Amino acid sequence: MDMYNGGPEISIRSLRKDGMKFVLSNTDLSVANALRRIMIAEVPTMAIDMVEIEKNSTVLTDEFIAHRLGMIPLTSFDVDRIQYTRDCTCTLYCPNCSVELTLHVKVNVDFDDMNDPTIDKTRQVSSLDLISSDENVKPVSDDKSHPILIVKMRPGQEVKLKCIAKKGVAKEHAKWSPVYGVAFEYDPYNKLRHSHYWIEEDENLEWFVSDNAVEETPIDPNEPFDYNAKPDRFYMEVETSGCMKPEDVVLRAMTIMQDKLGGLQIKLDDEFKEDTQRWGY
Amino acid sequence: MPPNATFNTLERERIFKNPSNKAFQTPALQELVAPHIEAFNALTEFGPSSGLLDLAIQDIGSKAVFDTNGGGLGNKLTFWVDELTLNKPSLSDKERHSTTRHVYPTEARERLNTYRGRLEAKLAWRINDGPVVIETQDLGLVPIMVRSNRCNLEGAFPKELIRHHEESEEFGGYFLVNGIEKLIRLLIVPRRNHVIALIRSSFTNRGPTYSNYGTSIRCARPDQTSQTNTVHYLTDGGSMLRFAWRKQEYLVPTMLILKTLIDTSDKEIFDSIMLGDMGNTFLTDRVELMLRSFKAYVLHTREQCLAYLGDKFRVVMNFPEDYTDVEVGEGLLRKIVLVHLKNNRDKFNLLIFMIRKVYALVAGECAPDNPDSPQHQEVLLGGYLYGSIIKEKIEDWLNGVRSMIKQDVRRKVAGLDFLDNHYFLKTLKKTASLQDIGQKMSYFLATGNLISNTGLDLQQATGYTIVAEKLNFYRFLAHFRCIHRGSFFAELKTTTVRKLLPEAWGFLCPPADVSRLPSILASLGVSQTLVPARGQRTVVVQLDGRIVGYCSSEEAKKVAGTLRHYKFSGSHQGAVPLDIELGYVPISQGGQYPGLYIFSTPARMMRPVRYLANGKTDMVGSFEQVYMEIACMDDEIRPGESTHQELSPTSMLSIIANLTPFSDFNQSPRNMYQCQMGKQAMGTPSTAINYRTDNKMYRLQTGQTPIVRPALHDTYGIDGFPNGMNAVVAVISYTGYDMEDAMILNKSSHERGFGYGTIYKSEIIDLTDLRIRGEPVLHHFGLGLDAPRSWREKLDKDGLPCIGVTLGEGDPMCAYIDDTTGKTSVRKYKGMEEGIVDEVRLLGSDLGDTELQKIHIKLRITRAPIIGDKFSSRHGQKGVCSQKWPSVDMPFSESGIQPDVIINPHAFPSRMTIGMFVESLAGKSGALHGIAQDATPFTFNETYTAANYFGEQLKAAGYNYHGNEPMYSGITGEEFKIDIYLGVVYYQRLRHMVSDKYQVRTTGPVHNLTMQPVKGRKRAGGIRFGEMERDSLLAHGVSYLLQDRLMNCSDYSICNVCTKCGSITSPISTHTAGSLSNVREIECRACQSGSGIDQVPLPYVFRYLATELMSMGIKVTLKTQP
Repeated sequence: MDMYNGGPEISIRSLRKDGMKFVLSNTDLSVANALRRIMIAEVPTMAIDMVEIEKNSTVLTDEFIAHRLGMIPLTSFDVDRIQYTRDCTCTLYCPNCSVELTLHVKVNVDFDDMNDPTIDKTRQVSSLDLISSDENVKPVSDDKSHPILIVKMRPGQEVKLKCIAKKGVAKEHAKWSPVYGVAFEYDPYNKLRHSHYWIEEDENLEWFVSDNAVEETPIDPNEPFDYNAKPDRFYMEVETSGCMKPEDVVLRAMTIMQDKLGGLQIKLDDEFKEDTQRWGY
Repeated sequence: MPPNATFNTLERERIFKNPSNKAFQTPALQELVAPHIEAFNALTEFGPSSGLLDLAIQDIGSKAVFDTNGGGLGNKLTFWVDELTLNKPSLSDKERHSTTRHVYPTEARERLNTYRGRLEAKLAWRINDGPVVIETQDLGLVPIMVRSNRCNLEGAFPKELIRHHEESEEFGGYFLVNGIEKLIRLLIVPRRNHVIALIRSSFTNRGPTYSNYGTSIRCARPDQTSQTNTVHYLTDGGSMLRFAWRKQEYLVPTMLILKTLIDTSDKEIFDSIMLGDMGNTFLTDRVELMLRSFKAYVLHTREQCLAYLGDKFRVVMNFPEDYTDVEVGEGLLRKIVLVHLKNNRDKFNLLIFMIRKVYALVAGECAPDNPDSPQHQEVLLGGYLYGSIIKEKIEDWLNGVRSMIKQDVRRKVAGLDFLDNHYFLKTLKKTASLQDIGQKMSYFLATGNLISNTGLDLQQATGYTIVAEKLNFYRFLAHFRCIHRGSFFAELKTTTVRKLLPEAWGFLCPPADVSRLPSILASLGVSQTLVPARGQRTVVVQLDGRIVGYCSSEEAKKVAGTLRHYKFSGSHQGAVPLDIELGYVPISQGGQYPGLYIFSTPARMMRPVRYLANGKTDMVGSFEQVYMEIACMDDEIRPGESTHQELSPTSMLSIIANLTPFSDFNQSPRNMYQCQMGKQAMGTPSTAINYRTDNKMYRLQTGQTPIVRPALHDTYGIDGFPNGMNAVVAVISYTGYDMEDAMILNKSSHERGFGYGTIYKSEIIDLTDLRIRGEPVLHHFGLGLDAPRSWREKLDKDGLPCIGVTLGEGDPMCAYIDDTTGKTSVRKYKGMEEGIVDEVRLLGSDLGDTELQKIHIKLRITRAPIIGDKFSSRHGQKGVCSQKWPSVDMPFSESGIQPDVIINPHAFPSRMTIGMFVESLAGKSGALHGIAQDATPFTFNETYTAANYFGEQLKAAGYNYHGNEPMYSGITGEEFKIDIYLGVVYYQRLRHMVSDKYQVRTTGPVHNLTMQPVKGRKRAGGIRFGEMERDSLLAHGVSYLLQDRLMNCSDYSICNVCTKCGSITSPISTHTAGSLSNVREIECRACQSGSGIDQVPLPYVFRYLATELMSMGIKVTLKTQP
C-alpha cells in the first residue's frame, strides 16, 4: 500500500467530555467506515440485561420498566475487567460477568398532605435510585439535577427490583452502544464527484458548505478533474452516551479492529500453512 | 412563529395534575356528541314543559274495554298512562350494604352490567264516569345514556369524572349494555314535513292505472314519531293517498280524504287546486275528472264521507267499540293523515298542495326531487328513536292489557268484575312480560334489532346500534360523528346513492362519512305566522309543512331576506331563531317546485357560516344552501350575490379528515385512505385503561405527539391520546427490501422502543354456567389440596391467577372446586400467544349477597414490532415492515443521523402524496427548532408556498433548503450518488399484525369425511390450493408439484383394489376362517378371493366418491396395470 505512506493519521480537532471531533487521514475509506461501524456496534459496554421484579405497583408494566432500565447508560470504564457471560464459567450470572443494581422505592401515604393540591405528591424514580454493587458500573449521571427518569409514582405505590447488568455489544442490542451518533464526512467540496447535488436554481443558496470544509482547499475551477483521486481525509465526530470517554471509544474501536485483522491474519497464515502441507507448494 | 408553535407540555401537565372542577380542557369534545345527548335528554326535556315521553303518552291516549254486562256494551273500563318517569340509575331497594345509592357508569363497565334506570308509569283507570284510580307501575330498568340528564354523571367536570373512574374529558353519548359501550347510529331519513316529488317505477306495482308519479311527505308528530303519506297519480288522471298502518298499506282516494277533512264543495276543491290558473287545461281536465269520478261513491256531505271511511277502517284502527263510524273516521284523520298538522283546514290545504305538485310533476313543470340529496334529508337521532320505541312498547302493553280483558270477557272468566280494582291489577300481572319495557330496550341496544308492530315508519329492522369500539381515540370519535345512510342502501346495486352531491357541501364529509359541524338542532322552533296576500299567481309559503299562504316569487324572496335579517336585528329579533331554515326555491323551468319553505323543526342538518351583511355567524341548513351564494375564500366573494362566507375552508372536512396534516397537498383518495387507517392505528384508546373491560384493546406504549399537526389537533385534545410516533424517514431505495410498499425499520430504533405495542384481552369465567337450575351453588373458586404443583405456579390459593404471571397455551387461568366430587378443576387459557395477567376482577351480583361466581381476567399480550407488521404515515402510505436492518448498515447523514424508517421513492409518483413530503420537511425543521408545526390545510398557496416557508426554516438550521441531505452507505461508507430526502414523519402502527394472521401447517387436523386438511387459521388448517391455482400448475406442466400439492400433502391414502373386478369398495379385511392367529387378510367380497388384491395410492376423496356413487347404484371400476 504505497499510496498511504506513513500509515493512517488522526488529528483531534476538539475534545469534550462526551464528544470528540477528529480527522482521520492517509487511509482508505474502508478503514474509516470500519472504524465507524465498530464504534457504533462492537465496542463492549455495560447495560442492564436482566431485571428481576419483586414488586411493581406503579402505573408502568413490568416489561416497560425493564425496557427503560435497559436503556440507561452505565459507566463502563472498567468493562475489560468483566467477562462476557457466554465466556464465563457460571450458569446464569456471577460477579465475574455481571454487576447487580437494586432499586427499591416505596412512597408512603401521608394523610396530612393527601388533600392539599399545592403539594406535588408525585415521586420521580430516577437513575439516582439505582444502587449499584460496583462503584465502577453505575448509571451515568453528570448532572444530579437531571437524572434519567424511570417511572413516576404516587403515594402508596412501590417498586422493588434487582437488575443484572452485563457486558455486551450493540450488535446484539442498541442499549450496549457507547455512542449516540457518529458523524462522518469526506470530501466536503465534492471534488471527487461521488455525489451529485441536486439544485433547483442556485447551488450556493440551496446548499451549505459543511463545517469540515475549513480543513480543505476549495475547488479550483482551472484544475482538471482527477478521476483517479480517492477519499483519504475523513471528518468524524463521536458523541458518547457518557459510559466512557470519547477517546476511549475510538481507541477501543481501533484495538478491536486490530484484533480482528490480527485474528484474520493468523487464520489466513494457518490456512496457507495447511495448504502448503497438504498440496506441497 | 405561528400561534400554536408550542406543544403546551407544561400546561397539559399542570391540568393533568390538577383537573378542573369547573371547566373542560377541550370543550369541543363535549360538543361533538351533543346531538346524541340532547336527543336523549329530549325524552324528558323537550320544549318548555314536557318531554318526548309525555307527548308520546298523550298521543297514545286511552284504551277502553267493555264487560257486556246487562246486554249491549255494558260497563266501560277506560285506562291510560298518566305520567312516565325515567329515574337515574340507583341501587335496588333490596340492597342493604351501601351508603350511597347512586350507580355510576364505571360500575356497569367493570361489572359487565347494563347502566340502567327505572322507568315508572302512573297508570290511571276509571269505570264509566267513575273516579280515576291511579297506580304506579314498574316498567323495568331502561338503559340510560352516559352523561345524559338521567345519568349520575350529568354536569360533572374532569375532577369528578376522574373520581368516578372515567376519562377526564369523558363525553358520554353511548349506553352501557352488558359492559359494552353501545351507540345508536344516526340515520338518514327523509326530511320531515316537506313534500317531495318522486318518480319510481315501483309505484306502478300498486295496481292497474297506477303511474310512476307521486308526491310523498314524512310527517312528524310532536313526539318525533313519523307517518309517511304518499299521493299517487293514476294514469286516468285521478290520485290516491297511500299510507302504511301497522306495516299494512292502504290506498284511499284523495278526494275522499279531502271531503272528510272539512266541509267543502267541489267548487272549493277545484278552485284550490287551480289557484286561478284557468289556462292550464292539463290541470282542469284532471281535476274535473277527479271530481266527476268521485260521484260514483254517492257521498255528499262530510258526515257521509267520514262514516264511509270509519266503516271501512273500524277493524284496522282498533278504536273503542263505542266509537261511531264518524268518530273512527275522525280518529283515522287524526292518527294517520298529515299528522304534523293539527288543524283539518291545514291538512286540507297541504293535501291540495300535494295534488298540485304531483300534477306539476306529471306535466313536466317541475323536476322530481332527489331523495338521496341532503336537501331532502334529515337525521334520525338516537334519542328520538329510543323514545318512539318506548312509546310503541307502552302502546303494546296497553293493547295487551285490553285484549287480555277482552278475552276474559269473551270467555266469561270467573272473577271478572270491572268494579273490583283487584281484577284490573290481576290482569296487569298477567301481562308482566309486556310491561317489562326495560328488558325490551336492553335487547334493542344489545342487538340493534327493532322488533316492532308498526315498523316505526323506518326502512330497516336491524343495524340500529353499533359498538363504540375504543380501538383508538380516532375511531371512538368517528362513531359519534358518523351518519348512516340506512342498511337498505348498502345493499343497493346502483351507485347513484353513493354519489357525492354538491348539496352535501359542508354537511357530509366523504372520507369518513362524518359530518363536520352540523349542529343538529334539538330545540323547538318558532310558531310565528306570516300571512302574505292570497289568491294571486303565486308560489307557496310553508312553515314546517303548514301552508301559511301564497305570494309572488319576488315577494317570497324578500320575505326570506327579511326573515334572515330578523335573525340578528330589527324589531323581531329573538322571535326568529338563528337555526331557522329559509328555503327559498325560485321559479324555474322544470326545476325544483318553487316556493318558500321555512323549517324550524329539530333534527335538521345545519352548519355555521359567516353572514356577510353583519359579519356574524349564521346557521345554514341543507335545504336552503342549494339556493344560496356562499363564498369560500375572500377572493371568491361576488359583490351583490354572495350573502355568506365559509368560516374556514376546512369546514367541509370531518374531524378525522381535519387531523390529516397538509391534506390539501394530497391526492384526494389518499386522504380517504388515511381516514380509514387513522382509525386502525394502534394508539391510546383510553387514559383510564385499568377501569376498562373491553374484549380487546390495542395500545401503543411509546406514543408521541406529532411535531406536525393541524390546528384542530389541540382543539380536540388529541395530545391526550397519541396515535403514533415521529420517525426519521429516508426516501431511498436501499437494499431492495423496501420494494412494493415494504419499509425497512432500523433495528436500533426498534430496540429503543419504536412502535412497541400491547394488546389487552379479556377472559370472563362464570361458574354459574356449570350450575344446574334449581341446585345450590356447588362450584367455588379455590385451589384444593389435590391440585398438582404445575397449577400452583400460576394460581394462588384462592384459585385465581397471580397478577404478573405469564400464561401460555394450556396453562390454568383459574381453578374451582366442585362440591359434589370434591375435586379441583381448572379453566385453561386457550390463546396461542403468551399473555401476562394484568388485572383480575371479582364480579358480584347486583345485590352483593351471593358468593363469587364470576371473574374477569385482563391479559396483556406484548407485541413488539416484527417483520410483517403494518405501518403507515398519515397520508395513506401504508407499508409492511420487511426487515429490521442493523443500525450500522443503515445509511447515515453527515451529522450521523440514521433513519428509523426507509421507504421506497416509488411509493410517491403514482400516489402523489405531496403532503407527506411537506410533513417531512416541516417535521424536520420542527425537530431542529423545537417547535410544533401548524399543518392546517389551505394555509399555503401558490405565492406563499410551504416549500419556501419550511425551506427557510431548514436553511436557518443549517440544512439544505429542499430537505435533501448527502447520505453515505452504512455498509461501504461511500457517499451516495444522489442526495436523499430525509425528514421527520409521524408514523402510525396499524393493528394488522402478522402474529394475528400467519398461517402455516405441515401436518395437522384433517376433515374426517374427505381426509383433506381442514381450513381455518384457528384450527391449524391449511390454505386452499384451489382450482385456479391448479390451472396455473397445469399450464406450467409441473406435474410433480401438482401431485405433491393435491395428493401427497393432502389426502394421500393407500387403497386396496381388486385387480380382478377393479373395485376399490369391495375389498374388506377378514379373519381367515379356522386360523388361530390374529392376522387379518384382505379379500374381495365380490370375487370371494384375496388373490387379486393389490394396493394403490389414491386420494382419499376418490374413495369417498366411489362409495357415494355406489350408493346411487353406479359402479366404479379401476383398470390396474402392474
